[in-house]
Amino acid sequence: MSEPANKRTPTDFLNSILGQRVFVRLNSGIDYKGLLSCLDGYMNIALEQTEEYVDGELRNRYGDAFIRGNNVLYISAI
Amino acid sequence: MADTAAALTVEEPLDLVRLSLDERIYVKLRGDRELRGRLHAYDQHLNMVLGEVEETITMVDVNDEVQTQSLRSVNRTVPMLFVRGDGVILVSPPSRAA
Repeated sequence: MSEPANKRTPTDFLNSILGQRVFVRLNSGIDYKGLLSCLDGYMNIALEQTEEYVDGELRNRYGDAFIRGNNVLYISAI
Repeated sequence: MADTAAALTVEEPLDLVRLSLDERIYVKLRGDRELRGRLHAYDQHLNMVLGEVEETITMVDVNDEVQTQSLRSVNRTVPMLFVRGDGVILVSPPSRAA
C-alpha cells in the first residue's frame, strides 16, 4: 500500500543531509556545527569546517573532525 | 588507479583516521582530557597507538569561600601510548588544506 513510505528509515534521513551543514549534539552537551561529509553504521561522523560550541560559546575549529558515534545525541540539518 | 583514488578519498568516517596515519593528530577524550600525538595504528573501535604524546588534563577548581570556579590544566608527555577506543570523543587530523 504505502510501501515506499514504510521503507523510509532514519538512515534515509541521514543520507539525505550528506553534504549539508549540520548541528550535532553530544551526550556531554557539547555541540558541533559543520559540513557532514559522511557517516557509517555506528553513527561515526566525519565533519568538515567544524566548529565546537561549549555552553553555546565557540571553543574550537577543526578543518576535519571524526566524531565517535557513541557520543552522539542527535543530528539535525541547519 | 582505482586503488590510489580510493586511498585518498573519504567515503566513510574512519577514512579520515586512516589518512592521518603517521601524522600528528588531536584527540579529545572523556574526562576533559586531550591528546596530541603521532598516530601509529588504529582499529575499528578507534583503539589507537600514539607516539610522542602530549596529554592535557583540564580540571575545574571550585573555591567554596568566594564561590568561584577556575580552570586549571596539567600537561604531561608520554613517549608511547595505547588509547582504548571507548574513551574517544573526537579525532581531528592535521589540516589537509592544499
